[in-house]
Amino acid sequence: MSISGFRYLTKQGLSNIARNKLMSFASIGVLTACLVITGVAALMSLNVGKFVDYLGAQNKVIVYLKLDADDATIESAKQAIGGVPNILSSTYVSKEDALNETKSWISGYDNGAYANVLDGYEGDNNPLYASFRVTVDDLSKIKDTVAELAKLPGVDFVDAPSDLAGTLVSLKRAVNIGGWGLVAVLAAVSLVVIHNTIRITVFARRKEINIMKFVGATNGFIRLPFLVEGTAIGLISAALAFGVVSGAYIGVLEAVSRAGTGWLSSLYFTIVDYNSVWSLLLGVFLVSGALIGGVGSAASIRRHLKV
Amino acid sequence: MIEFKGVKKEYPGGNVALDDFNLRIDRGEFVFVLGHSGAGKSTFLKLILHEEMATEGKIVVNGYDFTRIKNRQIPYMRRSLGVVFQDFRLIPTMTAYENVAFAMRVTNVPERRIRSRVPYVLNLVGLQDRARSYPAEMSGGEQQRIALARALVHSPPIIIADEPTGNIDPELSVEIMELLCAISKVGTTVVVVTHEQELAAQFHQRTVYIDKGRVVSDSCPVPSRPTFLAHGTGEASR
Ligand SMILES: Nc1ncnc2c1ncn2[C@@H]1O[C@H](COP(=O)(O)OP(=O)(O)OP(=O)(O)O)[C@@H](O)[C@H]1O
Ligand SMILES: [Mg+2]
Repeated sequence: MSISGFRYLTKQGLSNIARNKLMSFASIGVLTACLVITGVAALMSLNVGKFVDYLGAQNKVIVYLKLDADDATIESAKQAIGGVPNILSSTYVSKEDALNETKSWISGYDNGAYANVLDGYEGDNNPLYASFRVTVDDLSKIKDTVAELAKLPGVDFVDAPSDLAGTLVSLKRAVNIGGWGLVAVLAAVSLVVIHNTIRITVFARRKEINIMKFVGATNGFIRLPFLVEGTAIGLISAALAFGVVSGAYIGVLEAVSRAGTGWLSSLYFTIVDYNSVWSLLLGVFLVSGALIGGVGSAASIRRHLKV
Repeated sequence: MIEFKGVKKEYPGGNVALDDFNLRIDRGEFVFVLGHSGAGKSTFLKLILHEEMATEGKIVVNGYDFTRIKNRQIPYMRRSLGVVFQDFRLIPTMTAYENVAFAMRVTNVPERRIRSRVPYVLNLVGLQDRARSYPAEMSGGEQQRIALARALVHSPPIIIADEPTGNIDPELSVEIMELLCAISKVGTTVVVVTHEQELAAQFHQRTVYIDKGRVVSDSCPVPSRPTFLAHGTGEASR
């Protein structure tokens, strides 16, 4: 195809959008809305995923050793923990470490009002357990791991956030499945809408298409303006949706960073930051907008090319 | 150029429009295809254009054998035909110039060539002054000449005109016919499909009669003076 021919057809396609204002607006609106919802779902899914991973890493399994455990017992427990599958890391916390940690935590509380309450519990008076802090690799298998740890020699009991872990794992799965389901439904809705819009243009120009066929136009030539029309609608919607979702997300990020305390501020460290998602978001919007627009319009013209 | 061998066309529903239809039209010929309403003339045209497909038999148009033509070859086959449709098939939203230029754009002709060729063919049909008019602003005869200009624009080896005199007054129809004759003189095959027996009789050219889907007569006239000269002198040819 010549360059001037291509330019001519592209111009035709773009002027169709202007000629067909109402339907073009309607389909841009619907497609934009669908993309916005998709974007929000994707961002939520990303954030829930990151949040779950973060909580998973925070919630250490704590293996408490018996109060009377001696150095040899501790050493053999350490070896045994190393042999349990699904363990990412383990750190030994001695009775003294535990006491010091607690002390420093308490003295930081309420401007040091309770700084001295633990004085006198050092040495043999130390009521705290020595422990191993263990992180697990796969949260969904945490129950089995905990059961194995509890059976090890020298271990008194194991403290594990197993209920929470289960909840988090299923939450992540639900968000992902729900997100993809939503995306599939919205993609179908957008396809139908674009398909109908282009079908109206095609119908309005069916005589012209028929004439084109009989003066020897190839199918590709006839299809191109409609593909341009559909793709342009898709790309315009993608740009709009990107603007809306970006604006909203930047707003949320600002609200989180400005919230000094409260539940919002707790998200500060886990929320996915804008710089790491904008290019993904824009790319996905543009590609899916163009695809939906192109496929939708190609489908509407197929019937008219069969002459 | 055009060859029909044992062609049968049965429409869905059982109407047999053509049956054992045999016809061969060679390069540079001027042929009238005559027949009553319902004889199968339009069906003959539709088969040539590959708008409809034959139920049986062999059709070859400009070297394209329809029994083995590929879908992607059909546009190129159609470019080798210039058709003036009975209803003209002009695009109402385009000017005369654009309607003709459109046929060239559709076939990827460079814009520069379009700009020189379109005025030339508009001049050929005597409508250089109506280039900016829309079909609705033109008379039937003018629209028909635009359609003819569009058919001529690719200099196709075959020009087919369906009822070229059906919608216009006799004077204009003579003009159109003379134009077609002139075109055939330079080596283009011209096929005129009509039900008007007198029209064919005025021009001493090969005439094919179709009746009930068959060729019932195919007569080559004795050579005569150029037909447009004959017309120019009024009664001379009668
Ligand atoms: N699409 C169709 N479906 C069914 N039958 C058809 C179709 N088109 C034409 N026919 C039938 O085929 C026969 C030939 O029709 P055709 O249109 O070729 O005649 P024609 O010679 O062009 O007539 P006219 O001079 O009235 O245009 C007729 O009997 C007609 O009813
Ligand atoms: Mg007819």
